[in-house]
Amino acid sequence: MRTRFIIFLLISTFIHANKVEIVKGLPFVTVEVEGKIFKIERNQVKDSYLTNTFALTSRPSPPFFIEPFSVSEGIETYGELEVLDFISKKKGLFIDARLSNWYKRSAIPSSLNISFKHFLDESDEQTKVFKRLGGVLNESQDKWDFKHAKTLLLYCNGAWCGQSPTAINALLENGYPKEKLKYYRGGMQSWQLLGLTTIVPKEKK
Amino acid sequence: MRIILLLFIYTLSSYAGQFSKVKITPEISYIYVYHKGKAVKVHRIQDTSNKLTGEYAMTYRPHRDIQPIKVTKDVKTIGEVELLHFMKNKVNKKQGVLVDLRTKNEYKDESIPSAVNIPFEVMSNKVKVEKILKVLGAKRLADGSLDTSKVLDVTFYCSGLWCKKSSMFIKSFLELGYPADKILYYRGGFQMWKILGFTTVTN
Repeated sequence: MRTRFIIFLLISTFIHANKVEIVKGLPFVTVEVEGKIFKIERNQVKDSYLTNTFALTSRPSPPFFIEPFSVSEGIETYGELEVLDFISKKKGLFIDARLSNWYKRSAIPSSLNISFKHFLDESDEQTKVFKRLGGVLNESQDKWDFKHAKTLLLYCNGAWCGQSPTAINALLENGYPKEKLKYYRGGMQSWQLLGLTTIVPKEKK
Repeated sequence: MRIILLLFIYTLSSYAGQFSKVKITPEISYIYVYHKGKAVKVHRIQDTSNKLTGEYAMTYRPHRDIQPIKVTKDVKTIGEVELLHFMKNKVNKKQGVLVDLRTKNEYKDESIPSAVNIPFEVMSNKVKVEKILKVLGAKRLADGSLDTSKVLDVTFYCSGLWCKKSSMFIKSFLELGYPADKILYYRGGFQMWKILGFTTVTN
């Protein structure tokens, strides 16, 4: 009886276990998407290849160039493990800085789309975004105070994408503290090359 | 009409010849590096419809842990732009070495230009490691300690974001006394080099 139970246990672990783990002992992490628990794991299907537009090697320049490893001194660059830690523990706001047409097609789960354009010039949209991040506008000096603002992690399409670095630079110019800004340079391309789960975000009505 | 057509073809071909359709950075379209004594032009594939295929496009990687962004606090991680600077300012001037830690066969098939191959397994061969340290400019002193005051800069890479060879090799190098500020880690590795359409060489 007992052996049968053990065999059952072994079989069920075998069936449910992820063969491809994020790192050894960590088969998946969970994040919150639209109020629901969502699982991020790696591709478990044998012989899978990246074949979509993210397999393209050569985007025309301009506008596409290879981005430096770091946006600016003092701003941490993250890899996938650091991203997963940040989003699973909700350490701050995870921002997809791409134009919305990119985001709509596929994105990293739990990310919020705020296009880099909204960070650039003084506008109602910018004011809305900066307030959402926790910024306080000092109207008399016409200056933003981000001392108590959220920590942000920004990403876009990958090493050849300038959208998140552009957003980060705009935030810096407006006085956002460096230690509150993180950059996931690998972006959508590295994420998918590692077979990590993506999501097609629901349209907001 | 014919002249216009010829002019058109001429501009098109000279344009392509400069590798400026798909550039590296706004300032750089290509650089020259020395690979086994020969100058190699390193640029990106100019065909904007080209896709990565083959084993480096594979997304199913069992037992290949995703690697952290840093090996240790003190060793710098770099991307492609910094790697190209390293090749130009260090490797070309014989002040630095780019090390490919993949297997002999993988290296033979295709590698980053200017890289030399030290298969990861060499790490467990004390005699060979000692030789490598010597080539890199380290001196074993009479009391057994290692003088690293004149060592070369070294950048390590392996297959990609899921390859642990670089971090393991770097850690053992640090234990042997190689200074952290003389080591760089190209985490993207051969996979990111390929997916960005950079020039490769066969060995």
